[in-house]
Amino acid sequence: MRNPNHPKPPRWADRLLSWLVAPHLREEVLGDLHERYQLRVQRLGVAKARQRYWRDSLAYVRPAFIKRKPSEYPNPTHSAMIRNHFLIAFRNLMGGKSFSIINIGGLAVGMAGAALIALWLQNESSFDKFHEHQDRLYQVYGLTNPVGGTPYAIPETSQPLAPALKQNYPEVEAVTRIKDIDKFLVRVDGQSFTGIQGAFADPSFLHMFSFPLVAGPKNGQLTTISSIVITEKLARKLFGTTDALNKTIRLDSVDHFVVTGILKDLPPNTRFTFEYLLPWEYLKKLGTGWSNEDWLSNNTPTFVLLKPNTNQAAFDAKIKDLTQRYSGRRDVWTHFLFPLRQWHLYADFENGKPVGGRIETVRVFGLIAAFILLIACINFMNLSTARSEKRAKEIGVRKVAGAGRGSLIGQFITEAFLTACLAGAIALLLVQLALPSFDTLISTQLAIPYQNFSFWLWAVGFVVLTSLLAGSYPAFYLSSFQPIGIFTKQFKKSQLGLSPRKILVVLQFTFAIVLVIATIIVRDQILYAQERDKGYANSNLIHVNFVGDIEKNYSPIKRELIRSGAAVSVTKTMTDLTNESWRTWGLRWPGENPKDTNTAITLFSSDADLVKTAGMTLIEGRDIDSYQYPADSFSVVLNETAVKLMGFRNPIGQTISNRDRSITWRVVGVVKDYIVGSPYEKIPPIVIEGPGAWFNTMHIKFNPANSTADNLAKAEPIFKKYNPAYPFDFQFVDQEYARKFDHEQRTKTLAGLFAALAIFISCLGLFGLASFVAEQRTKEIGVRKVLGASVFNLWRLLSKDFVILVIIAFGIATPVAYYFLHTWLQKYEYRTEISWWIFAVSGAGALVITLLTVSFQSIKAALMNPVKSLRSE
Amino acid sequence: MRRSDLGEFEEVVLLAVAVLVPKAYSVMIAEELERETGQTVSTGAVHAALQRLEQKGYVTSVMGEATAERGGRRKRLFTVSALGGRVLTEVRSVRNRLWERIVPPTLLEWS
Repeated sequence: MRNPNHPKPPRWADRLLSWLVAPHLREEVLGDLHERYQLRVQRLGVAKARQRYWRDSLAYVRPAFIKRKPSEYPNPTHSAMIRNHFLIAFRNLMGGKSFSIINIGGLAVGMAGAALIALWLQNESSFDKFHEHQDRLYQVYGLTNPVGGTPYAIPETSQPLAPALKQNYPEVEAVTRIKDIDKFLVRVDGQSFTGIQGAFADPSFLHMFSFPLVAGPKNGQLTTISSIVITEKLARKLFGTTDALNKTIRLDSVDHFVVTGILKDLPPNTRFTFEYLLPWEYLKKLGTGWSNEDWLSNNTPTFVLLKPNTNQAAFDAKIKDLTQRYSGRRDVWTHFLFPLRQWHLYADFENGKPVGGRIETVRVFGLIAAFILLIACINFMNLSTARSEKRAKEIGVRKVAGAGRGSLIGQFITEAFLTACLAGAIALLLVQLALPSFDTLISTQLAIPYQNFSFWLWAVGFVVLTSLLAGSYPAFYLSSFQPIGIFTKQFKKSQLGLSPRKILVVLQFTFAIVLVIATIIVRDQILYAQERDKGYANSNLIHVNFVGDIEKNYSPIKRELIRSGAAVSVTKTMTDLTNESWRTWGLRWPGENPKDTNTAITLFSSDADLVKTAGMTLIEGRDIDSYQYPADSFSVVLNETAVKLMGFRNPIGQTISNRDRSITWRVVGVVKDYIVGSPYEKIPPIVIEGPGAWFNTMHIKFNPANSTADNLAKAEPIFKKYNPAYPFDFQFVDQEYARKFDHEQRTKTLAGLFAALAIFISCLGLFGLASFVAEQRTKEIGVRKVLGASVFNLWRLLSKDFVILVIIAFGIATPVAYYFLHTWLQKYEYRTEISWWIFAVSGAGALVITLLTVSFQSIKAALMNPVKSLRSE
Repeated sequence: MRRSDLGEFEEVVLLAVAVLVPKAYSVMIAEELERETGQTVSTGAVHAALQRLEQKGYVTSVMGEATAERGGRRKRLFTVSALGGRVLTEVRSVRNRLWERIVPPTLLEWS
């Protein structure tokens, strides 16, 4: 609209000013300018007026006009609301101190328990994952597949297999063998050390696996025959310093080695345990007994690094018949590669197929961790909803004052978050305190990775998740109250019948009872196996490994031990009694069944007096005694299972031969079955050979008339005399036998620990809940008391509800626990029965604990003076 | 009363408000000052001075009516407050006293 009487001022100037000048001044400023413009148009003409207009406009470009006016009303931002949430949350925590302590304490204990398990799980799943080439590393396995027999996976290969792999297959980038050795006597400057774990390895070992060197070049390690690579830990032990490069170490007083490299200490999460590495060349130099170029002897773990983008399945097919080709026999094992990612957690084989392994334990404990956390969260939810009565009025007022549901949810989540943060901080402290004992319990080295960014990410995520989990129910439940219902107290009705709170209590106790039952059954299984007849007597029995000159001087040692009165009987054997020893396939006997000849038979050996020394029971015939019967070099003693397998009706005098019938043994005796290997498994058929076999250790039965210390004091000088270079090193067989139960003992301790934790947290919640119910019903109790109810009546009234819940929980827990533990027991050949009393005891126990927890509150409430309770309000 | 409380321009503007009340607003004051001094006076300068005066409590303001020349926008009308009046009087008396003490022959004449 262009009116000649009212020409418009420059539009751009107006635009500039509208943008520049503070909103509250815009009207008057622009009005003034326009009015003046009109005046000037009349006076000076349009052009001049426009010019002036610009100049006038620019006069407004000053802070006084540009500065925006602060709002005269408070401007509540989001952060202010959150601050308010925190304030209210803090006041609520402070307001109910005992509640807060129960709440935060329960949550903290739960979080700490879950965090410990999480740390362990993290450690378990990180095993050997730090190697740079971890996705291309494999272990070579053998797989026997006998006709009619069961396939059996062998984690070791023959020694010539590794070079053959490298030579024949371009897909192989590197290959290494590694053979553990702990027999060497390590000597430095006149000091000697025994029992240090070491290994022989090919030069490529340090290139394939990422064990970094802190000193010495990476290339060329383990290539020269007299070189040794040691860890920092061993360097400190031997030399007192990690600066040990080029120093000399003597092994077994024969050979000298120069330290060419110092390895950083191996992390706890690796399968390798060596403290020093020796070149494979040295093993070859040691010759017979060490080096073994036989393709048919599996004695060495072999590892392969494949080139990138190699298909494992295709490669497996190529190497399948490697041993068959090289040994020229079709009836021996095939090969396959076992990838690194499965080494630690999936290493169990059954019938030659991987069937899981530790992963099951990991899963079970992951489940337990989740449940512990869940129980703690349930506590939190329960206590929060229980307090809803108190908070209901507050919520009503807030709602009436205009609080939206979202804002109320925000408030409850904030409260949960604050509690979770406090609990998280306490949990971190608890974990730090509990970690050393937890480490001893599960024999690992766990540490809280404080420097790790992702750890903090996880920790924060953990807290946030917990607060969401724990806060969601109160947040959505409490915020759904209708204000009108709150003020007329109608909402109470919703708590009758099947309230969510009761379901939560049932869930909590179900889990706790399942854990208790599990603990008892695991304990039962251990006791059952411990009480199993071993078949030999392991008290007063020690074994001494053949190191140094012991084997050479065996006869005089034996003679002097018996003459000195320290020992009543001595025998040399293939391995120690508790060891699983050697297995063989393909022994032949008259009337053999091809299926049976392919069953693994355990080999053992003795020169004489085995039955007497080990306290075995002879059923038929006689013990091997190569001194009295020189022909006994090729005599054998069978155990009952072997007799059964071979189907001998009259075993004495029968003959057994090896696969190609080049050696024949005669059966001279039968002993009662005795336990080798796992006490949970069936006893395998055992063939005890005479002195024709080889020997690695000697067993000594001490004189029971003397004390063990006396016997040891007498034995030591004898060993010193005949084996001066070595310290007298021995093992008690009963201690070694007890070690077989370590794994299950640990399972039991852990299950017990977490059962206790679950019970504790559940009871904490129950305690809070009971105190709340008692508080709620103060008036009712007062009225009842006035009308003549006894303390017992009131106690029963208040405890009844909880007892019913626990009974329901027990009803659910029983079949669940039975199912899981029945499945668990199936993996043991020798297993206990699940008897009814276990369930009865755990049920009764849970009930007693519940009653104790609840009674404290209900008796307190019942004893209250009705005058006081009725007066309030 | 410290001198710095009332600048020279502010003083003139305050006087103009006193003169022009009840129709004292930026445009009128600027026009008036232009007429009186013969120099260009921008509304921006006047407005800024008025804001300062208002802050000091020497003037008060209300929004007035809208007119067509202003594009339908309202104007802000100023009046001198009691404090403003007293300040003006004081300033004037200071000047008067000084004027009176000038001996006539020393009065510098501009010509």
